[in-house]
Amino acid sequence: MSKKFVLVFSLIIVASMMLAACAKPAPTPAPAEPAAPAEPAAPAAATEADCAKPEVICIGLVTDVGEVDDKSFNQASWEGVVAGGKEVDAIVNYVETKDAKDYVANMQLFLDKGYDILVTVGFALGDATVEAAKANPDVKFIGVDQFQGEVVPNLAGLIFDEAKSGFLAGVLAGKLTKTKVVAAVLGTDLVPPVVNFNRGYVAGAKWVDPEINVISTYHPGGMDVAFTDPDWGATTARQAIGQKADVVFGAGGKTGNGALIEAASNEGLYCIGVDTDQWETVPEAHKCLVSSATKAISPSIVDLIKMAKDGSFPGGNYIGSSALAPFHDFEAIITQEIKDALDEGLKAYDANAITLPEK
Amino acid sequence: MEQKTPSKNNWLMTIWRTIRVPLLAILSALLVGAVILLVSGADPLKAYAALFKGAFGNANYLKRTLEKTTPLIFAGLSVTFAFKAGLFNIGAQGQLLMGAITAGFLGFAIKGLPPVLHIVLALLGGCAAGAFYGLIPGLLRSYSGAHEVITTIMLNYIAINLTDYLADGPWKDRSGTNVIARLPLIEDSARIPFFGPVPVGFIIAILIAFIIWYMLERTNFGFEINSVGLNSHASRYAGMKTKLLMTSALVVAGLLAGFGGSVETLGVVGRFQPGFNAGLGFDGITVALLGRSNPFGVILSSLLLGAMKGGANVMQFDAKVPHEIIDVIQSMMLFFVTADLVIRKLFRIIKDTGGEVTLTAGWGQK
Amino acid sequence: MTVGVMNNGKIRRRPAWASPLIFGVIVIAVAVFSFMKNPSVTEAVMSAMIRFAVPLMLGALCGIYCERAGIVNIGIEGQMLLSAFTAYMTNVWTGNLILALLAGALTGALLGYFLAVISIKLKLNQIIGGTVINILAIGITGFFYQVGMTTKGKFGPIRLGPLAKIPLVGPVLFNNPPITYIAFLMVIISHIIFFHTRWGLRTRAVGEHPRAADTLGIDVFKTRYLNTIIGGALAGLAGAFLTLEGVGTFERNMTNGRGFIALAVMIFGKWNPIGSALAALLFGLANALQTQLQFMGINIPHQFIGMIPYALTIVVVSGFIGRSRPPAAEGTPYEKE
Repeated sequence: MSKKFVLVFSLIIVASMMLAACAKPAPTPAPAEPAAPAEPAAPAAATEADCAKPEVICIGLVTDVGEVDDKSFNQASWEGVVAGGKEVDAIVNYVETKDAKDYVANMQLFLDKGYDILVTVGFALGDATVEAAKANPDVKFIGVDQFQGEVVPNLAGLIFDEAKSGFLAGVLAGKLTKTKVVAAVLGTDLVPPVVNFNRGYVAGAKWVDPEINVISTYHPGGMDVAFTDPDWGATTARQAIGQKADVVFGAGGKTGNGALIEAASNEGLYCIGVDTDQWETVPEAHKCLVSSATKAISPSIVDLIKMAKDGSFPGGNYIGSSALAPFHDFEAIITQEIKDALDEGLKAYDANAITLPEK
Repeated sequence: MEQKTPSKNNWLMTIWRTIRVPLLAILSALLVGAVILLVSGADPLKAYAALFKGAFGNANYLKRTLEKTTPLIFAGLSVTFAFKAGLFNIGAQGQLLMGAITAGFLGFAIKGLPPVLHIVLALLGGCAAGAFYGLIPGLLRSYSGAHEVITTIMLNYIAINLTDYLADGPWKDRSGTNVIARLPLIEDSARIPFFGPVPVGFIIAILIAFIIWYMLERTNFGFEINSVGLNSHASRYAGMKTKLLMTSALVVAGLLAGFGGSVETLGVVGRFQPGFNAGLGFDGITVALLGRSNPFGVILSSLLLGAMKGGANVMQFDAKVPHEIIDVIQSMMLFFVTADLVIRKLFRIIKDTGGEVTLTAGWGQK
Repeated sequence: MTVGVMNNGKIRRRPAWASPLIFGVIVIAVAVFSFMKNPSVTEAVMSAMIRFAVPLMLGALCGIYCERAGIVNIGIEGQMLLSAFTAYMTNVWTGNLILALLAGALTGALLGYFLAVISIKLKLNQIIGGTVINILAIGITGFFYQVGMTTKGKFGPIRLGPLAKIPLVGPVLFNNPPITYIAFLMVIISHIIFFHTRWGLRTRAVGEHPRAADTLGIDVFKTRYLNTIIGGALAGLAGAFLTLEGVGTFERNMTNGRGFIALAVMIFGKWNPIGSALAALLFGLANALQTQLQFMGINIPHQFIGMIPYALTIVVVSGFIGRSRPPAAEGTPYEKE
């Protein structure tokens, strides 16, 4: 009686396996291949078991809730760890956090093995990282997006001025728009980086022309869905485009990516990505992606790892650079006038001549 | 099934007969998981060994497994209790959130209380909030006919929005360096302590499970709840106040979920923070089904799920297996445990009683 | 027509779609008014409403097919997610959108068959069956999804000739991608099937009173199987909508609870295709308005605006609409004597 059922059931399983098997050979973004995290770039025989030895450097990464291939800050951090690991001949490994309550336990996994450098990703891990750093003075900690209120010598809080690259994105949008309406589709306002990107963006567009109408919106859901809702992002982008917005700034993980892809399916629109150069992470948006408001997570992590090796590791806050990504295929439309405006805007921003709006 | 010849091993046999189908089901699920792991190029034995190590390998791991088990027991009991009254409480998640944030608020807002009193007060507050959040769908179901599945789904979303607002607005942690939406840390006097590697919350959960079992099996109230669940019309004709019973079933369910949220805040997280309680209420549904709507079954299935959740990170760390495999195994377990027909066929077990599952039928309409 | 049934001794004659219809009329009135003031914004909000509504509509239809035949389906969320995944994968490999669409529908149908076997053949609890589908879908898609695959495009809008030129209505209704049209068509077809064909009558009989239906010579099992499979295919379309039409790519957990909202939409619409479609539009509108308020810079904490559709549903379900009543035999396996 249940034979037929078992058949169907196994069919479903087999089908999904075929999916996976066939999916394997597909091209993956070069450095972030998560399937092979522990490729020892270290001296021949060194393995993870040797991490406790002083001559073997091991670098671990604990993600915020999410995956190392999230096309966002977890991925950028992991790429930084991989690249930094190559530079200093280190063994690298990661653990993905599934439950926010596991931050401490996940760090402990690395500490127990004697890892030398630990990268923790996201503001939410801030407290746990400070505590772990105080308890393990011999281990260097890099906390991405974690502002340090006090200096712990073995902990560098890697922070960015998101409003700065957001401001540049706003200037770019303000220069590109023909309709005088630009949009921002954002993840949650529960976390400051997203809010800062938007504040900068609004200020940037208004700096170009106060008449420009900036329509921006945050995902209404909680933390659990705000960054993983590309359909909401796409629909919201469409709603903005429908009211004549011709530049869309998508800032908020996969939600923002949905907005970028939606903009790409229209003629003559521009979109601006966020965090990393999204030309690499969201190829579907190539048609509209002029640039991205980036924060240099990967390069900063590489720098910090090198400093950790040569003994110049900075405790306290370490401000990574935030800037616009290359224009790629859109180089031609970025006139000298726009470039000048960006330079001028940057000067004004650095001179603190810009006041940012509230939210 | 067989003869009732009293023998020394009789009770052992009974236990064996009760647990052998779930046991085989769990094994089958692990087998399916192993096949998937093999196909994707991982070593299942290594993965499972790492999973086990991560769940029970040392005192720290055990402590974490128990921490993860605790809210599952509460959420599972919540869903179970509603099941017994023929109601499907999808709202455990929302009730849990309301409990968690209320306990978190009382935990930091009240200062200078002696520890035990503070804990009790915060727990009571959390329970009350959960109960209130169960009362709403209870009243709506009983007196306006609005179905509890739809109202609790909606209340879940409202709870997420409300707690997000409170954590980013009036109750936000305004201390120096904090930038994110969360409540301040609770006072030390509100922290539920540990008993060796065993969280006191876990012990409370076991106690509550026993109380719920007693309530359902040995009290008049429990009997009436059960009969409403089995046949609400007959119960009404038998003179029971079915509306009141259904409402109180959801209130108790809400209370239990709120209790779980409070214990989570006061015993594990130490503050309320959006996203930290995600999915617990929904896991409660799984736990209740795996535990066959029996409070003791709920404890066991919570332990199982808690162990899988606790061990997942070590599995990823040691065996390089993505933690999503846990979801696959979990769904297979749920399937095999409930599809005992399949298991009986596969393992050629003669028809016997392994404890029938009594659950709500459909939308609870009778 | 549909809900002229006995309910607690009272006879309700108001059709299932009456309350949503009242909302609909109000919405249209407001829309026309605001269209006079600001055409492009109104069009944008209305279009967004439809886009939000389509997956909910298809998901709710899935629920209706299953439940009218007496099978509870809370696995819509999982059916949508897994279908979205297979549709996406097919799109990646073949670049053929039609094929991808079919793959999505097929996946949904297969999961529908799975649910049918669980509930009809194995006589298991149907809520468990649905829960299994939900968790399984999260696990399988999460485990097997890999980044770095790109699709070769998504469905673009098809203009329906002169119809698309009508102000407001044209751009909103007649300039949409194909799955949106399919969704609206399916709503109408389903309504006709359920209330104006023998098949529909039989399905409802099976859902209300299988024993009587059996006595009259209706094949209860076959009816239930077919309806659950058709329903699954519709949920598959909803999933395909997300990857092939809405976004164009797949992400883990991208359904984000839409399957559960669809369930609410179905109950809101009283197991009636047109009622549910209107309810879905109402949800869509609330979402679109939420965005619009933020666009307009109105600074109410957005959590409160975010709550509105859910609070509204509770209010409506508990008072205004009155008791929404599921098919009587729902959730119970049928045993031949």
